[in-house]
Amino acid sequence: MTPHTRWRPSLPPLRPPSFTRPLHDARTATAVGRWLGLAFAVCFVTGLISHYLQRPPDWLAGYLPSRPVWGYRLTQGLHVATGLAAIVLLLVKLWAVYPRLFVWPAVRGVRHALERLSVAVLVATAVFQVFTGLLNIVEWYPWPFAFVPTHYAVAWIVAGSILLHVAVKAPEIRGHWSLRSPGTLQLPAEDGPDRRSLLLGVGAAVGAVTVTTVGQALTPLAPLDLLAPRHPDHGPQGLPVNRTAAAAGVTRAALREWRLEVLGPRPYALTLDQLRALPQTTARLPIACVEGWSMDAEWRGVRVRDLLDRAGAAPEAGARVVSLEVSGAYRVMDMGQEYAKDPLTLLALALNGQTLSLDHGFPARIIAPNRPGVLQTKWVARLEVL
Amino acid sequence: MNGTTVLRYALGALGLVLIGVGAGQLALVPEAGAVALWLAGALVLHDAVIAPLVLAAGLLVAAAPARGVLRGALVTGGALVLITLPLLVRPGAPPNPSALPLPYVRNLLLVLAAVALAALLLTAVGAWRRRARERGEERQERGKGDDGGGERDKRDEGDEGDEGGERGEDDGG
Repeated sequence: MTPHTRWRPSLPPLRPPSFTRPLHDARTATAVGRWLGLAFAVCFVTGLISHYLQRPPDWLAGYLPSRPVWGYRLTQGLHVATGLAAIVLLLVKLWAVYPRLFVWPAVRGVRHALERLSVAVLVATAVFQVFTGLLNIVEWYPWPFAFVPTHYAVAWIVAGSILLHVAVKAPEIRGHWSLRSPGTLQLPAEDGPDRRSLLLGVGAAVGAVTVTTVGQALTPLAPLDLLAPRHPDHGPQGLPVNRTAAAAGVTRAALREWRLEVLGPRPYALTLDQLRALPQTTARLPIACVEGWSMDAEWRGVRVRDLLDRAGAAPEAGARVVSLEVSGAYRVMDMGQEYAKDPLTLLALALNGQTLSLDHGFPARIIAPNRPGVLQTKWVARLEVL
Repeated sequence: MNGTTVLRYALGALGLVLIGVGAGQLALVPEAGAVALWLAGALVLHDAVIAPLVLAAGLLVAAAPARGVLRGALVTGGALVLITLPLLVRPGAPPNPSALPLPYVRNLLLVLAAVALAALLLTAVGAWRRRARERGEERQERGKGDDGGGERDKRDEGDEGDEGGERGEDDGG
């Protein structure tokens, strides 16, 4: 009680719950919050990388780098792994500050109202973002909107809301940054060991979630991949599949008359036997899916560069690749010149020493370094010089 | 306005710009109304369902002995269940034979059992160490006056709190 107590009308019988339990404090929020901020920062940056690799604006398409070959594998693996970690950190962070939801009076003025509104936007978008991401990696879409543009748009709102939140809370964050910060020292000292044990528990939770899922991208940890949507050991020819031939509407019958058409200044067509008779190149390249799983494989086929040259392409030409699939957002795929001229970019005919299976894109598919899996076009019917 | 304040306002302004960019992008999404509904749903789901459940669990844990380890085990187990839940309740067949290929119920139970085992071990180790320390104190009581340093060691250990296997100051970062 402050000595300066004013008379107040008797309170209504229903009051928000009050929290006197320890650890709902700014030190806990700061300690968890900075890990959460780091996780969201990694998610945002890797997400932007993925977005621009997958849907580059025209001016950028020609400059996208085809190296390092494992670039997209790393960034998208990180995106999903940190996203999963962020689910744990976000819930603990929100638990730490949950009492603030019930502050009384609920609104103290315009400034306070704006601050609460910004926190509501932050909570809504952050929960939405990790939740939709979690459902996307199991390919479950219970909502009516398109996932990719929505996840992209909301990512900007989350990022902006976090910056705004850090700006608003800067004095409190600074006051609780370390164990010896003035704000931390004002908290009850006996909470220290309890908080430390909570943070250790949260670290254990993040570690457990990561270790049981990251094997879907980090192949050496595959034996511990117990809870991820993908596993390196499950898939035809030793490689998981994202879209089957059946899903793409490609049948053996439709391939009976298959020929590769190459359009350019000197157009031509090749049968599968003619393709096999051309000089073959072997490349070890990963399939790295936007859903976070990835795996290395050995591909063998004809260099795309050689096929484009034969059609009379200029050295800086890009390529358009058209699949035989009936429908699908990635039926037509463009690659910029960096990919088109990379000696590792292949029109692959074989995978891990065997002819491609139908689900892996028989008779011919694209495999290029440092590209999202959805752009590794399968069942290629036509190459066009751009 | 000093430098720090300027930086703070600049950060806040940058945040507002990014929010504006995102809102602009969101307005272009067809079904933007549905997105708004799901965003509100996310807020309600957290504030009205998830948070109260976690709080209730926390209140129960508060009464338990060795609650540090128990809480760590519950947070870990809860996190594992949460990230596995979509795999378990997703309606319909998996999109293809190499997607969702694992026996997730069995694996989840295995991992949860491992978490429980680890928690039991940590609790046992903590109890054992506490007993060892108490015995050491008794011995020191008996041989009091031999060694001044022993007294200081004992006091330092006492400040560590009573959680098993957790040592050292954590700076949280």
